[in-house]
Amino acid sequence: MSLFRLATKNIEGSSFRSGVVFLCALVVAGLSLSTVLVIRGAQDSLRLALERLGADIIVVPEGEASRVETALLMGKPTQTWMPQENLSKIASISGVAAASPQLFLASLSNASCCSASELFMVAFDPKTDFAIEPWLRQRLGHELRLGESVGGNLVFVPEGEENIKLYGYIISLKGNLEPTGMGLDQTLFLTFDTARDIARISKTRAVKPLEIPDNKISAVMVKMQPGADAHKAALDIMQTVPNVTPIESPQLFQAYRKQITGLLRGMMAVLGITLVLSLVMISLIFSMAANERRREIGVLRALGATRVAILQSLLSEAAMLALGGSAVGIALAVMTVGLFRNLIVRSLEMPFLFPSLPALLTLIGGGLIVAMVSVTLAALLPAYRVSRQDPAVAMRE
Amino acid sequence: MFKVLAAIVVVLALVIGAVGQFTDCQSQGKSIALANGKTTPMKCHWTGQAALGTALPLLGLGSVTAFTKRKESRRIIAVFGTLLGAFVILLPTQLIGVCSNPDMLCNSVMKPTLILSGALVIGISLVGLVISERKPEQIA
Repeated sequence: MSLFRLATKNIEGSSFRSGVVFLCALVVAGLSLSTVLVIRGAQDSLRLALERLGADIIVVPEGEASRVETALLMGKPTQTWMPQENLSKIASISGVAAASPQLFLASLSNASCCSASELFMVAFDPKTDFAIEPWLRQRLGHELRLGESVGGNLVFVPEGEENIKLYGYIISLKGNLEPTGMGLDQTLFLTFDTARDIARISKTRAVKPLEIPDNKISAVMVKMQPGADAHKAALDIMQTVPNVTPIESPQLFQAYRKQITGLLRGMMAVLGITLVLSLVMISLIFSMAANERRREIGVLRALGATRVAILQSLLSEAAMLALGGSAVGIALAVMTVGLFRNLIVRSLEMPFLFPSLPALLTLIGGGLIVAMVSVTLAALLPAYRVSRQDPAVAMRE
Repeated sequence: MFKVLAAIVVVLALVIGAVGQFTDCQSQGKSIALANGKTTPMKCHWTGQAALGTALPLLGLGSVTAFTKRKESRRIIAVFGTLLGAFVILLPTQLIGVCSNPDMLCNSVMKPTLILSGALVIGISLVGLVISERKPEQIA
């Protein structure tokens, strides 16, 4: 009988014990992978969002930083205003390569005029924009025209309709940006002209008109010249432009970074406790199994099986159970996190991006190795002890 | 082993039946307003009703699995379980669907729950099929 067959027979012969070890491996692997997926998904999402924003500094009205961050991160619509003259002041600061204004707008909630409810809308100036325009030129081959828009990955045209209706105004969705796992995925991007046209039309066609105050903007996106000091420019903006808050891109989403770190610590603590408990349980189960099988192992030794063969047989059993349990646990973790990602984003109130296939395969491989090594190590001591026993003594017991 | 698999299928059948009743837009007070002033349920409501209709035979199948000893019967049950599991997955994805808005409960909870439960029913049915093929026939 081969080592593999002996281990298989042992597993089949004690289904309850094997089931418990299988479950422990399933929990350890599943919990580890889902924790890593959620944390890594949040970190990747933040990184991608910063790249997508493309700005080194975002200047927002004083006291509105957290609302703007929440809007960009979670797609929760917000409206903030500052004087348009701030734009020229910011653009004239040393080291600034480009400064582009944006308007933050919101669609109406559940109004009959609108097919999209509570949509965060960002209007940009095509003449100065450096974040959306390059993508548009690459994908559409032209700038956005009047009445056209592009949406984040989750913006869609409602079923049975050809366009999006906002404030009674028909907007054509020309394309969707790549997913970021953040509020940007639920944001509609349009030009200043389209936003002002919506405001004009909404006065007669919408339940409530879209208000865009004259000579006001919501934020200014700032791109620095290569090698220029963004921190110094941010300080200059604070001194030169009154009642604004410049947010440097490394400082953006700080509250969420702290939230992610806190979540990471909490999850790691739970994971650590689960891992230790599972390993203790597996070790106890294998100790009990080794004691129960003293006589059987004694017979095997008397028939010529070496100590190494006995040890290998017990460890193979542990490794097979660990492999099976962790494979099922990992499959469940990937499916659960992948399928429930929208719910995770909403419940944890933090962004999430599912990893790419190569990254996912690496994580799965890591999870399998961790579970197999943990279970095999937990089974090593009892297996070693029973393999060292004297066959004659074992058979007499 | 079959009793454990049967118990899991029964629990999954209960989940499949219940999730459609409590997470469709109708249960959240949302429906489509017609021009004549009346309202009609959104399609996620019908997915929920169809899921309930699928959960009932699945519940029966799970209960029967616990008491069936014949290899042929177990084989047929496993095939039916696989088909019902696939049907549960197809309901929110292909056959009827759910609302498009990712923030709606039917999209964020009902759809993934049905897909996951359907996949688990398929997996368990296939495990049952493999075990019944390997084990010698037991006649009570």
